[in-house]
Order: sequence, then C-alpha cells, then structure tokens
Amino acid sequence: MPKVDVTLVSGRTSQQGVGLEVGKTSEQYFESASFVELSVADADALGTRDGQPVMVSTAHGSVVVSTRRSQGLGEGLAFFPYGPWANQVFGSDTGGTGMPLFKGVRATIEPAEGGSVPTLTELVEGLRRGG
Amino acid sequence: MVVITDAVCPFCGCLCDDLEITVEGDGIVNVKNACAISRSKFMNHGENRISSATVDGEAVDYLEAVEAAAGILAKAVRPLVYGLSSTECVAIGKAVELAELTGGVVDNTSSVCHGPTILALQQVGESKTTLGEVKNRADLIVFWGSNPTEAHLRHIIRYSAMPKGLYTPEGRKGRYIVAVDVRETRMERVADKFLKVEPGGDFELLLALRAAVRGGEVQADEVAGVPREEIAELAKRMKGAKMGIVFFGLGLTQSDGRHMNIDAAVGLVAELNHHTKFLISPMRGHYNVAGANTVTTWQTGYPYAVDFARGYPRYNPGEYTAVDLLAKGEADAAIIIASDPAATFPAESARHLARIPVVTLDQKVTPTTMLSRVVIPVATAGVEAEGTAYRMDGVPLRLKKVVEPHGGVLPDAEVLDLVIERVRALKGEA
Repeated sequence: MPKVDVTLVSGRTSQQGVGLEVGKTSEQYFESASFVELSVADADALGTRDGQPVMVSTAHGSVVVSTRRSQGLGEGLAFFPYGPWANQVFGSDTGGTGMPLFKGVRATIEPAEGGSVPTLTELVEGLRRGG
Repeated sequence: MVVITDAVCPFCGCLCDDLEITVEGDGIVNVKNACAISRSKFMNHGENRISSATVDGEAVDYLEAVEAAAGILAKAVRPLVYGLSSTECVAIGKAVELAELTGGVVDNTSSVCHGPTILALQQVGESKTTLGEVKNRADLIVFWGSNPTEAHLRHIIRYSAMPKGLYTPEGRKGRYIVAVDVRETRMERVADKFLKVEPGGDFELLLALRAAVRGGEVQADEVAGVPREEIAELAKRMKGAKMGIVFFGLGLTQSDGRHMNIDAAVGLVAELNHHTKFLISPMRGHYNVAGANTVTTWQTGYPYAVDFARGYPRYNPGEYTAVDLLAKGEADAAIIIASDPAATFPAESARHLARIPVVTLDQKVTPTTMLSRVVIPVATAGVEAEGTAYRMDGVPLRLKKVVEPHGGVLPDAEVLDLVIERVRALKGEA
C-alpha cells in the first residue's frame, strides 16, 4: 500500500466559513471541512483521485477524509481545513503558550480503500467514548 | 419592507460597517455589500437553530435550564468559562463576573488564534494603527502567514490593497503588495510579490530580512526557501516605502516558534522605523475577539487565560488556557459562550468536555452542544441583538439588531445575568 509522509498545515477557508454559518450539522459544512488537500505529486504517488478516501495519521491520532489535489501545494505539504476532522490528528501540547501546533505537524497519508469519512455525529460519539 | 443601512457584520475582525440589510416581516430577504460568509451568516441565521433549551437532551423551560446551569457552576471547584469572541462586550463582562463568582478560569478563543501575538506584544510592544490610516496612507502592504482571500474576504477591498484614500489616490496601482506563505493561495494572484517560505521557516526569514534592512548581506544562497536576492530586494522596497504595514495571521502564531515568530516580525518593523514609517497588525479572526481581550483586560488586567481560584485574577497562558486546562483534566465543569471547542480544539482536549458537565449558550447545533448537559439557545448579536464589538485594529463599533430573536430567545448577556443571579443564591451570596 503506498504511503506519503507530509507536513500538515491547517487553516480557514471561505467555504468552511460559509458552511458553518449554515450550520455545523449541514451538508455544506461537512463538504467544506472533511477533506485534505495534497500536492499533485503526492496524490499521484498514492494513486488517489479527488474524492477518494485517505487515512491521515499523526502521533496524536488518525482520521479518514476525502482527498483533493491542489496546484498550490509543493510536494510533501498537505492542507487540512480547520475543524473537527482536522482536530482528530492535532495534539494538545501547547509548549506552555496555550496554543497547540496546528501547522507544521508531520503526518502520514495512505489510501483508505473501502473506508468512509466519519460524520460529525460519529466524531462526537468518538469524543464521548474517549476514542 | 425595511432597509437597514450601515449595519455591521458580526463575522470576522473586519467588522465591515456598510451592509444594507432588507427585512420583510420577521425575515432577512437580502444583504448588500456583504462577502460570501457574511451573506451566509445573515441569510441562514434561522437555519439549524436549537429549537429549545435542553437538560440531558430533554427539552425544558428556559428558567429550568438556567437553574440546571447554575447548579453545575455553583458546585464546581474549577469551572472553565470559555468562548466569548463571537458575542458582544456586555456578555463578555458578564462571563468574567461569572468566573470571579465561581472561582473559575475565564479564557477566550484568542488562546488558539492570536494568543501568541499577545504574548509577544506584551514583551516587545506594537507599532499599531487603524485600518483607516492604512487605507489613506499605506503604499506597501505585507500579508505574512495570512490569507484574506479566504478568511477576511473584504479586507483587501475595503481597508488595505484596493481602496483609494487621502494620500493613496491611485488605490491598488499606487501600492506594492507582498504575500508570504507556505503554500500558493489566491494571494499569489493578488500580490505583486509572493514569497514561498518553507514550513516552520518564518522566524529565520524574518531575521534575515531584518538583517538586510540593517544593511547586512545574507551569506546563504537562500533562507527558508527564499533566495537571498529576493530578501535584499524586499528589504530595499520596505525601506523605500512612505508607509508600510505587516498584516500577519495564524501562519505565524500556530507554527513552531509561535510567539517568537511575532517577536521577530515586530523586530523587523522596529528596524524599518529607523528608515520610514512601518506598522504591524494581527488579522484577528472572530469578529469580537479583540473585544474579548479588551473587556477581559479592563476587568481583570489580563487579556485571556485568567484564573480566579484565589479570589483575585492571575494570568498564565499555558496553564490557565482552555486547551491546557482540558488536556490536563483540571476543569470539573465548563460554560461555553458563543464558541465550539469540541470542534476547534485538538481531540485530546475536546474529549475532556465529554467527561464533565458542560453548559453551552449558542444559536445552532454544534459538536459542543451535542456534548453538553445543558444547552440554552440565545439571540445572535449583530443580527437579533445589539451590542458593541471591537474591530481587529481596536476600533469599537455598534452592532445593530435587525430582526427579532428566533423563537423569542434572550441575548447572551441576559442569560448570563440569570445564571449569575442563581449561582449567587445557591452559594448563599444573594
């Protein structure tokens, strides 16, 4: 199974802003925050097409999201829209500043054949179970 | 049909104050001058609303929910009061009062956005200005680790790159725009110069640029992925500007180095002030996060991460910040106002919210309301309630009430008043 090692950065997008104002339980919000953007080179290395599921894993956790290609990303850099899907893989250590590291985290991405992207409700259930 | 003019948008730190909102009956039917996000906020404000106050998922009367909330907070040993950046200033003041009354911790969302900026500016100061001055005078604008085309959609149109001002009559033509980022965003097309910095390389690049401004020659072929010729060229342009400004975002505060990146950016701007007028300004995200810092400071002396456990305010980011307090399992209850930490905090911290009793005041269903024992629906400030908010540059603006609250719910400040009154009674301080 192919894998790529990337540096993960999260950030706000206008679509995620529009979606959250419709409501976090809306389809628009789900579509706006449950994917990871990969460079063309990394997507090619994984053999994934836009919309296919991938597993994003870091030292802090893992999550299945869909994937998109972005021309703006250099090889080895991946972008995750800010939100509950991204927060499955970021850690809570703030280095004494109050601020977790939301940008520049090492991650591994691999195809998640047959995997499905968790819904918002499933993520909340995961928090409840402590998982 | 009523048209409300000069309405202020309660979404991002731009607080655009030129909206025209058309109201028909109880509903908003049109919004003019708004960006896509602002339009979504006004047009969808009635969608996905919380239909009733709830306790343990059961619909209850408003006052029953207030009683349950007060019971949780009055019993708690170390309650966390958190959120506050998407509500108006009176509610923020009430939240501070509640933290003091319960001996809890009050923190706002700046701890996960520009908290590191505050840490740095408390050490090294800030050369600041208003967005009006930028519009009227700035001829060189740097966006560093910030992407207004996604997060502050009208910033470049109203305040920075595009507008024609008193001493900037040519608008965009008379300005040189620089964007620095780890990835090519739409800012690459907006800017005259786009510098792609390696992830985690901002501190190094800022120091190299400062050295070049001071007259030093960069020896390395490139610094953090940027060729030395480009560093020298930008340093020259910055020194030659009539008035310049660095607008910086979470690209600096959320990357390795955090507050030290801001320290380096302020150092660069200080160096530039030996040559010309240069300023620096954080791109604040939530519309009243600057107000959350301002109100908390005027009430406690500190802008965020304030602990009242000893009966007087103490300040220690990294200890009294919400992510840390939850990750360490310290908080034994929480009240969340106008925020969604279950979605915006790392899961390691958010999990603790599922273990403790949580009270949430919000308009819409969120992961945090799903985890909460008590949920109280409230009016949206700037849409269904008046109030004051602070723009990203510290200018206070008055939010308008444009429609009646959905389902007759109360504003945050009034709900907090009711909770405070009941907590006082339960603690025998009435």
